Amino acid sequence: MTSTDTRGGPPQTGRRPEASRPARRRPRPPRSVIQRGSARLGWAFASPALLVVAAVMIFPIVFSVVMSLSNVNVTGNGFQLSGLTTHNYSILFGSPRYWHDLEFTATYTVVTVTIEMMLGTLVALVLERLTRARGWMMALLLMPWALITVVSAELWAYIYNGVYGMLEAGLNTVGVHGVDVLGTPLQASIAMGVADVWKTTPFVAIMVLAGLVMLPADVVEAARIDGASAWTIFWRVRLPLLRPVLAVAVMFRILQAFGIFDLPYVLTGGGPGTSTETLAVLGYKVLFNDLEFGPGAAVAASTALIVLVVCLLFLKVFRTQVAEQEG
Amino acid sequence: MADTAITARPASAARRRRKRNTGTNVAALLIAAFVALPLYWMVAASFKGQADITSASAIPPHPTTANYTNAFSSYAFGTYIENSAIVAVATTLLVLALGIFAGYALARLPMRGKTAIMTALLMISLFPTIAVVAPLYLLLRDIGWLNSYQGLVLSYTALMLPFAIWILRNFFLTIPKAMEESARVDGAGPFRTVLQVILPQALPGVFTAGVFTFVAAWTEFIISLTVNNSDRYRTIGVGIALFGGQFTTPYGTIFAASAVAMLPIAILVLVFRRAVVSGLTAGAVKG
Repeated sequence: MTSTDTRGGPPQTGRRPEASRPARRRPRPPRSVIQRGSARLGWAFASPALLVVAAVMIFPIVFSVVMSLSNVNVTGNGFQLSGLTTHNYSILFGSPRYWHDLEFTATYTVVTVTIEMMLGTLVALVLERLTRARGWMMALLLMPWALITVVSAELWAYIYNGVYGMLEAGLNTVGVHGVDVLGTPLQASIAMGVADVWKTTPFVAIMVLAGLVMLPADVVEAARIDGASAWTIFWRVRLPLLRPVLAVAVMFRILQAFGIFDLPYVLTGGGPGTSTETLAVLGYKVLFNDLEFGPGAAVAASTALIVLVVCLLFLKVFRTQVAEQEG
Repeated sequence: MADTAITARPASAARRRRKRNTGTNVAALLIAAFVALPLYWMVAASFKGQADITSASAIPPHPTTANYTNAFSSYAFGTYIENSAIVAVATTLLVLALGIFAGYALARLPMRGKTAIMTALLMISLFPTIAVVAPLYLLLRDIGWLNSYQGLVLSYTALMLPFAIWILRNFFLTIPKAMEESARVDGAGPFRTVLQVILPQALPGVFTAGVFTFVAAWTEFIISLTVNNSDRYRTIGVGIALFGGQFTTPYGTIFAASAVAMLPIAILVLVFRRAVVSGLTAGAVKG
């Protein structure tokens, strides 16, 4: 039986190996009836799922782009697309609110992801050394991750409440009074960041912990025998080895944070004013509160475009993810 | 631990380890407190009556279950939870039914462009939902599926399939090929091979994909908020978010509903802890 896998081939190029590799140990026979049959079977197996994803995820993304480039007339019983236009984008780019929200979303993403990565790595290092009750700690860490974001947003709103919140009560004991956290722009942004860090740092920690556990023990051992301190071993040996795992975690977190909707929508409503309004919240408000489908689609499409660019920047990470598993 | 076993001076190593353990335990305790305190605060608040909800006492002064009876008899939180359960279970089953075959095909069968498909799926699974929500709303409106279970199930299935396929494929890759070959020699057809030979081997992966899909469907917000706005089909997250008046937020009722909404997820995560962890790390670690 001739195996059809690409083991030993160069999967990182993403190309099919047979064309570039004339000298195989065994000459590859022409694709047999069985192989052609199983390729067809492969498509038969995969196509229902791929069709659903194409129809209900990819088509809407493309449609958002089309809508953002069209004159959208909302009528009594629906809406009409007529004519190609860049009008929606000129509305968008001429609006200070859009630029503010873009800047806020980008800053928020960079700051929270940086903090989450550092804290997550620290938590992972603690968990790695933990000899007792590690399972319980993991279970506890998974709770915020699995919590409905709306619930955690309500919970933090309760904690931050300026009159009777837990934070206010805590501050009162040290003599600080009347701090309305959600009432001032900078404090509201920080408060939102803390709620986000609480919910997503466990995700980073568990990912990094898995990476730490998988590190080759002999390399660390060799460094230890050479007399390297724990500090040096961490920075010079383990962290560099951990880089692929960290890259995946950063990528996941950046893309999730950039599209964040639930937390600001429920915790701050984007406020005070529009100070904590993310692009997703702006898009939702324009689409479904103002019923401005053209500009709303432009917000959605431009957000998707930025995400796509970030994805392409991380293409190498994606590739290694896909290829690593094949090799 | 292996790293201390080779140390030359066992006495000092033991002392160092003890010191290290104390530091680790203190740090772990702090982490646990930071994670658990807000959750505890929520559960405590759900047992506080109207008069105590604004009190900062950590233990409810006059514990009451009034919030729970209120949430489920005076308000429709029972219906919302039922809706969420129906949608999440249906989505999970559908995602697994479609995802198992797609994941198997992408792991094992010789198709062109598999790498491109996998890369695209992974990217789509990270796309912001705001990018799809308006066209999805229009699409569901055109086919008359706004305010229905099937509209939400279809949306969620498409939303959660990419990641599920990805998890499943990674698990299928770890199963020895010999299994299928012997099944083929025995004359089993492709469907039977997948269902009877491959699936039992990949059960941990199926659980992982299932738990992830269920949690994602249970917690999803923006699509549900948009396409199901009638009380009859509202899901629990949206119900909690839209509950409350103009000037006051009835936190007691909200947290009673929240605590109940958290229960199935908490049980699921506790029971399938290993599966969840392996899913979270599927991106970080080989199979």
